[in-house]
Amino acid sequence: MSVRASFEPNETTDESRSLRERVADNPGPARFWLLGTAVLVALEFGRYMGWAQQLVGAVKYVIGLVGLIPTWIGDSVGEATVPIVSYFVSDAITLVLLFGIAVLVTRFTSWSAVDQFDLGLSDRLVRFLERAVLTVVLATIAVLFAFTPVGGLVNGAIDGVFNTLSSIPTLTSREVISNQGHRTPGGGWDGTFLGLSPAVAWGIRTLLVYGYALTMIVWTWKGYTIFREHYRKADWTPRDDTLRRFRTHYWGLFGLIVVLMFIVTALWAPAISPTTADQNIASPYEYEIEYLNDDGDVVTTTPGQANLNSQSNGQNTIGPMSYDDYDRWSPLGTTSSGQNLLTHIAYGAQTSLVIGLLAIGLGGLIAVTMSMLTAYYKGIVDILTVITSDTIISIPAFLLVMMLSVIFNQGNHPIAEPLNGGLLLGLIFAFVYWPGMWRTIRGPSLQVAEEEWVDAARSYGQTPVNTMRKHMAPYIAGYIMIYGSLLLGGIIISTAALSFLGLGIEGSTPEWGRLINDGRSFVGTSSWHVATIPGLMIVLVVTAFNALGDGLRDAIDPEADTGGTDDTGTAAAGGGG
Amino acid sequence: MSHEVSHEPIATETDVPTDSDGDVMIEVEGLKTYYENSGLLGGKPVKAVDGVSFDIRRGETLGLVGESGCGKTTLGRTLLQLEDATDGEIRFDGVDITTLGGDDLHEWRRNAQMVFQDPESSLNDRMTIGEIVREPLDVHEWETPQARRQRVKELLDTVGLQREHYYRYPHQFSGGQRQRISIARTLALEPDFVVLDEPVSALDVSVQAEIINLLEDLQNEFGLTYLFIAHDLSVVHHLCDRVAVMYLGNIMEIGPTEELFTDPANPYTHALLSAIPEPDPTVERDRITLHGTPPNPRYPPAGCPFSTRCPARIRPAEYRDLDDELWNRLNTLRDLLSERQRAERSVRDRLRAVVGKDTRFGTVEETYDELFGDQKVPARVQSVLDEIATLARNHDEGEAIAVFNEAFGSVCDDEPPAYHDVSDGGHQSYCHRHTNEYRSTDAVLENRHG
Repeated sequence: MSVRASFEPNETTDESRSLRERVADNPGPARFWLLGTAVLVALEFGRYMGWAQQLVGAVKYVIGLVGLIPTWIGDSVGEATVPIVSYFVSDAITLVLLFGIAVLVTRFTSWSAVDQFDLGLSDRLVRFLERAVLTVVLATIAVLFAFTPVGGLVNGAIDGVFNTLSSIPTLTSREVISNQGHRTPGGGWDGTFLGLSPAVAWGIRTLLVYGYALTMIVWTWKGYTIFREHYRKADWTPRDDTLRRFRTHYWGLFGLIVVLMFIVTALWAPAISPTTADQNIASPYEYEIEYLNDDGDVVTTTPGQANLNSQSNGQNTIGPMSYDDYDRWSPLGTTSSGQNLLTHIAYGAQTSLVIGLLAIGLGGLIAVTMSMLTAYYKGIVDILTVITSDTIISIPAFLLVMMLSVIFNQGNHPIAEPLNGGLLLGLIFAFVYWPGMWRTIRGPSLQVAEEEWVDAARSYGQTPVNTMRKHMAPYIAGYIMIYGSLLLGGIIISTAALSFLGLGIEGSTPEWGRLINDGRSFVGTSSWHVATIPGLMIVLVVTAFNALGDGLRDAIDPEADTGGTDDTGTAAAGGGG
Repeated sequence: MSHEVSHEPIATETDVPTDSDGDVMIEVEGLKTYYENSGLLGGKPVKAVDGVSFDIRRGETLGLVGESGCGKTTLGRTLLQLEDATDGEIRFDGVDITTLGGDDLHEWRRNAQMVFQDPESSLNDRMTIGEIVREPLDVHEWETPQARRQRVKELLDTVGLQREHYYRYPHQFSGGQRQRISIARTLALEPDFVVLDEPVSALDVSVQAEIINLLEDLQNEFGLTYLFIAHDLSVVHHLCDRVAVMYLGNIMEIGPTEELFTDPANPYTHALLSAIPEPDPTVERDRITLHGTPPNPRYPPAGCPFSTRCPARIRPAEYRDLDDELWNRLNTLRDLLSERQRAERSVRDRLRAVVGKDTRFGTVEETYDELFGDQKVPARVQSVLDEIATLARNHDEGEAIAVFNEAFGSVCDDEPPAYHDVSDGGHQSYCHRHTNEYRSTDAVLENRHG
């Protein structure tokens, strides 16, 4: 075949080069894209550092929590037996935990002692030794951090660096485009961006946030197309088809847009809110604001005092798109306690996102893992999982959530601290809902485990973990996505319901459900917006998550493909067999 | 044959001299694969493979035929360690692979691969052809990723597909093409031994020939050794060097293809071969019809596994003159009795029996009427039948069967046969008829069915 002969050398040279080399050959497009990315990142660098700081904080929190486990268990054992035993037990558990981390680390790094040294031992033994050595190294580091000043120094250094970096002003920061000011007796505005009214300043900032997020998404897409056009080895890969299917799935696109807006709102909550949650909700008596009173004087008060006179409670209403008596702009009006509704909703989006994603992510992970294990191994693993899940399911879900939430909150457990119990609620929902998710995907898992390709994988020695990941999990992904997105709505609603009963997230953490609870008695009055707007937001977000799940499922399933008959045609024509 | 082929219960075995052509690659000895009850309390296991012994020589194609459910697929899967052997040995180049584990087993898997029956189910629909064929290479970390991709494209070429199909999905291909992909995956690790589990039975007849020819070409090119599992005898006749015939977990006959097809020794092989349709309508042929269904592999017969349906079963001398139809009825009676013995009677059944109502098994009278109503039963047979009826009425089926076997049983029911050499070419048959005291199978079949 002359065509192939001329095509082949080109193909082989092309394939043998790495991405770095391919970029070096043709740096133009890559340079262009990286420059654009650098500009975009620079515009919001301070905010990204703020997120990174929060992430580091979360990781530290988790490490701290895991670090407590050995002591807890050790102390309990010590109380039951001889106190000296507690030290041994806690040390042993520490080592087991560290060994577990070592296993994870070795699994996810490509370097392996097996390839590097020939010790004349079996691969299995070398791998075990490698992990044992890593455990000792980790233990040394842990001791160094816990019992020497090194830990404090490192901690302080990290905090200092992030504090400095995150205070850099960004394009959308409140200080740059401020909407907090007051009227002047002359009729203008003082303290706001360019002397514009707070409404306009806020509008500009909000537009900048969404515009920036949109630009970022478009630029990422642009990066992908540049990669595809200039640097990818193959002119076509399956991923292209997935994207093509999703691009024509309008219901899924609708979901994606709303979900992205929801996420942007949560991430940029401080910029989108007319005022910060801390000033308006958490500690309103620790700040001062100035306003022009009826007598034409600029006077000072606290936001807490101002809130008391700006309530939307039926008799008195600060509706959407209006100012209150204290020259504060309320794009969505105020709540029944006089707080800014948009601030409440934007920060509430963070709460909902954390709880929902934590619950679905963790619960889904447990469900998928268990369904893979039970379908692959069957037998005793299956029976135990059935018993466990049945036990959890047999207790009414909502009752269980309430019970656990009360126990941990009353016990002042350290888990109940973050987000006023938001983290705890996410974990509880994960625990309560994983059996349901597992049940839904159990049938398909058992079915796919019986497929011959699973046997085929075993026949050439594929490991069970990889078999489950490559040959079983993709068939479950569609189900778990649909069910997860349905459940996400349920969790947002359940969180709201708990707040409604006064058991969920209390205190200063904004939450959508509490808004509905607070405003439900005013739906028939002029203060209708207090419950209606968060209600509509919940409906919209829940629907959008469903739509996104639907679109994703259709996109990742090549057999759901309706378009592109040309592909099928050529494949069927060639080969002839 | 390099070693003795035996059946477990037989203590005396005939030592067969080593065959001259080809060295032995796989030696299977006394292999048993039982499926245990999934329940916690155990119970009787299903004896899917119940003690088989045979050799596979390097470079040959051994056919494995038998009806559905006879355990041939289980045997193939056990050879590849996809099922755990309950007992026995599988020596692959001298190494007993049933004892391998961990890294050794992983390494060994390179040598032995399998082509599955259903190409619709053996390829993961969510992966591209390239990923599917590449996976064995990835698992065994074969050379570099680039080299793997190159090799996959060459393999696609080898099995008659195009290199561009690397990025296609399985559902874009026809059954025959999918089977080619499956074969390409099998060849990826350059195995020595391939189990072909009915590789063409799910395909159109026109495509079957192409795949068969491809398999033959590949065997010549790469020096592969095949175990070809099939129930299509004509395909086996075409492709295989030697054939093993399986029934109820046992190998009934094994020998060179041509010899086995033209001169079958075992009654079961006779029956199987007589089922091949004859294209010439004018040829006079007698089909040997087997009565009943194969026994439950949980409760195989004590003697020869084929004794319950054998057209050439050895009959006791004193009843030799009974006609064949009556023998069939008697066999049915025995099946019914053992079924009744196994079936647990519910409380309701017992109550109904006590008050004289019909149970779901029917009364003995009904059964007798159905079986022997239109038969002329000689008096000496009738007396035995009456004795059995009395016992059965009292629900003493065990005793009834004992009486039945006492009267009508023979060596076929009592003890498992031995493997007998029927020619010099390593042709062996598992039947009592090959001992000198009984007439040969051919003569009996000629007599009874001819």
